[in-house]
Amino acid sequence: MRVEVTSDSLLRMSHVAPPTFPVVQPLQSLFPEEALVRGRTVLCSGDAAVSLALRVVAAATQAGSWLGVVGVAHFGLMSACEQGVALQRMVLVTPTANKREWASTVAAVADGFELIMLQVPHGVGVADAQRVQARIQSRRNVLVLVDTARKSAPQSVFQPDVVLHTNTTKWHGIEQGAGYVQSREISVAVSGRRVPRAVQRTVHHVG
Amino acid sequence: MLAETTRVAVLECNDWPAVAAQHELRSRGKEYGAVAVLHAQRVVARTSEAARNGVLVGMRRREAQAACPQLHIAPSNPERDRLMFEPVVQSVAQLVPLVEVSTPGIIVLATRGPSRYVGGDTALAQRLHAMVEHVLVGMGNAGVASFGVGVADGRLAAHVAARHAATIGGWHVVDVGASQQCLSQLPVAVLADFAEIDRSVVSLLQRLGIAHLADIAAVQLSVLTGRFGPVGEELHRLARGIDRHPPVTVAPPPDRASVHRFELPVEDINTVVFAVRIVADELAAHLGAHGASCVRLHVCLQTDHGEQSERVWYQPEGLTAAAMAERVRWQMEAWVATRGVTSGVVLARLSPVGVRAREGRQLGLWGGSSEADEWAARAVERLAALLGPHSVHVAEWKGGRDAGEVFVLAPTAVIDMQRRSESVVTNEQQWSGALPTPSPSLIYAEPLPAMVVDAEDNVLRVNGRHELSAPPACVVVGQHRYSVVSWAGPWPVEECWWDPLRHRRLVRIQLVLQGIIAGGPQAVLLALEHGEWWVLGKFG
Repeated sequence: MRVEVTSDSLLRMSHVAPPTFPVVQPLQSLFPEEALVRGRTVLCSGDAAVSLALRVVAAATQAGSWLGVVGVAHFGLMSACEQGVALQRMVLVTPTANKREWASTVAAVADGFELIMLQVPHGVGVADAQRVQARIQSRRNVLVLVDTARKSAPQSVFQPDVVLHTNTTKWHGIEQGAGYVQSREISVAVSGRRVPRAVQRTVHHVG
Repeated sequence: MLAETTRVAVLECNDWPAVAAQHELRSRGKEYGAVAVLHAQRVVARTSEAARNGVLVGMRRREAQAACPQLHIAPSNPERDRLMFEPVVQSVAQLVPLVEVSTPGIIVLATRGPSRYVGGDTALAQRLHAMVEHVLVGMGNAGVASFGVGVADGRLAAHVAARHAATIGGWHVVDVGASQQCLSQLPVAVLADFAEIDRSVVSLLQRLGIAHLADIAAVQLSVLTGRFGPVGEELHRLARGIDRHPPVTVAPPPDRASVHRFELPVEDINTVVFAVRIVADELAAHLGAHGASCVRLHVCLQTDHGEQSERVWYQPEGLTAAAMAERVRWQMEAWVATRGVTSGVVLARLSPVGVRAREGRQLGLWGGSSEADEWAARAVERLAALLGPHSVHVAEWKGGRDAGEVFVLAPTAVIDMQRRSESVVTNEQQWSGALPTPSPSLIYAEPLPAMVVDAEDNVLRVNGRHELSAPPACVVVGQHRYSVVSWAGPWPVEECWWDPLRHRRLVRIQLVLQGIIAGGPQAVLLALEHGEWWVLGKFG
């Protein structure tokens, strides 16, 4: 019997989960390990936070992992599709306004989804953040925090392992009454607990 | 033996996905003779013209295009296949009230009643053939779709007869009791083509030297079962010309039809499906408690005006509660789309007409649903229980011109999450008039009011030709004022201009803005409708 073995099916059946999730090639330089390490927390902030966060998780969803999007306001489904997220493996969850239930909702998402994209509402305390982060570490998932506030420096109640603070410097393709928005140059400040040396990178990003 | 087999008629339209794709293209004013439908980079169906040019099912895209350079490639879209097939089903349903549609393109019906009514199997086949031909002529598909009607004992024989009939463009009736003989000289590959037996099993049979169905029937049942397990028994049954599954192997659970009556007529599809989901949960739990699962479900919907939609749904592995709700949603959507509904639904009834012992589902070792899929499906159930069904959603393709319209959110309660990972959700057909990509990553469900002004502080307008009155210079959103760095557009939309109620006329522009105080340039999407500007989305 001829058996076709693809890397995808091998990955799906293997009992030992690989320690990392893949990341698309242009963004690999942003991560010290050139991939998303399981159990880690990544914070995307600045004016390209959502778009970059979608691009970060896209390759992993294509490889068969599920993505839970929790409480991200004004989430653009079309943009998620264009960034390469496998929409058939994406579930959007709207948590209740109740702060106490928020942590248990995120914990329930962490039980079933390997990738979690999370926008932290106002008023979440450090204790809740630590609980959620401990859960992510023990379940060996990846948490991608999204912070869309336009601030000069990122702030979070979480303790992110990698911080990607974005700042758009230039838009391509659009002129005075001609063309259309095609791509942009993003200056990404990479820092965080697991980043040995904070660096500044420039990424050419579509979307 | 006869008691185990029902006499059925199968109507099959060959390569239905290709015919549906061609029909849809024609309705949009594009005429293509050779059309092929691709799924996972392989041809799954092609029109007869493409077939004449040498395009085969299973070819890769490049091979198919090399064989037939004028070939038009269409993506696979089960939704489209189902909708296009609806007129055919409706016409058959006029003669035979209860029909079963397992996949678009194939209709199965029990002939006992209808044959007696029209005067014999041959007369029935003839009648069905004429009716379907009439519908296809009406759709403009005459001569393109080759279809046939087969009548025999058992589904496999009837299906094979239908395929044979399609090649000669007519009908084929196998005499009562002659099914086994008719099947005996066929190659074992038909089991994979028509009876959903795994290809690897068929390939193994061939290498064991079993070439024809008669050879399988000649092997002892115990030997086959010993070698192949439960599949062996199925093979033996199929080779003898009787139905794949024994009718009922467990004592039938107390007969139970689950009915939901609505207090007031309900017009919203989602409301109906949610109500049905509750009933379906009860039904699935009831069957599960008796160790059974439903493989064939009869769904009946009634409106306030007495219209009725009846359909039988078939799933060989058994239908879960979510799968039942999903079938009801498909039936409702098709019913609404064909304008068969003039009022709200007042009654929904689910009756399990085919029940079999639950064997438990064996997960595939290679591919198929993975552990991650199982975990996710379980987490979704839990979240829906925790937060309520309206807080957990998945994306479904709908199509539209605005970035916010292309995908819509569907509650997970009405989606079969167990099989979700196998489906494909992409923007397969961009509408004409849609904005260029990339799309904004932040879409405001309720657009923010804004003001776009020119250098002299006059609010921008468009004339009858969708031209802006002046180049934009400044945008005011709430308390904030931004200066325009660059801009593009306008992209006009004229929707439903023939319908005064649904008519929409708007223009969209893309702007790159620079805040007065701080921050880099940001790109936004704005629209002008009824003289007012709105922020639709932001590239965040």
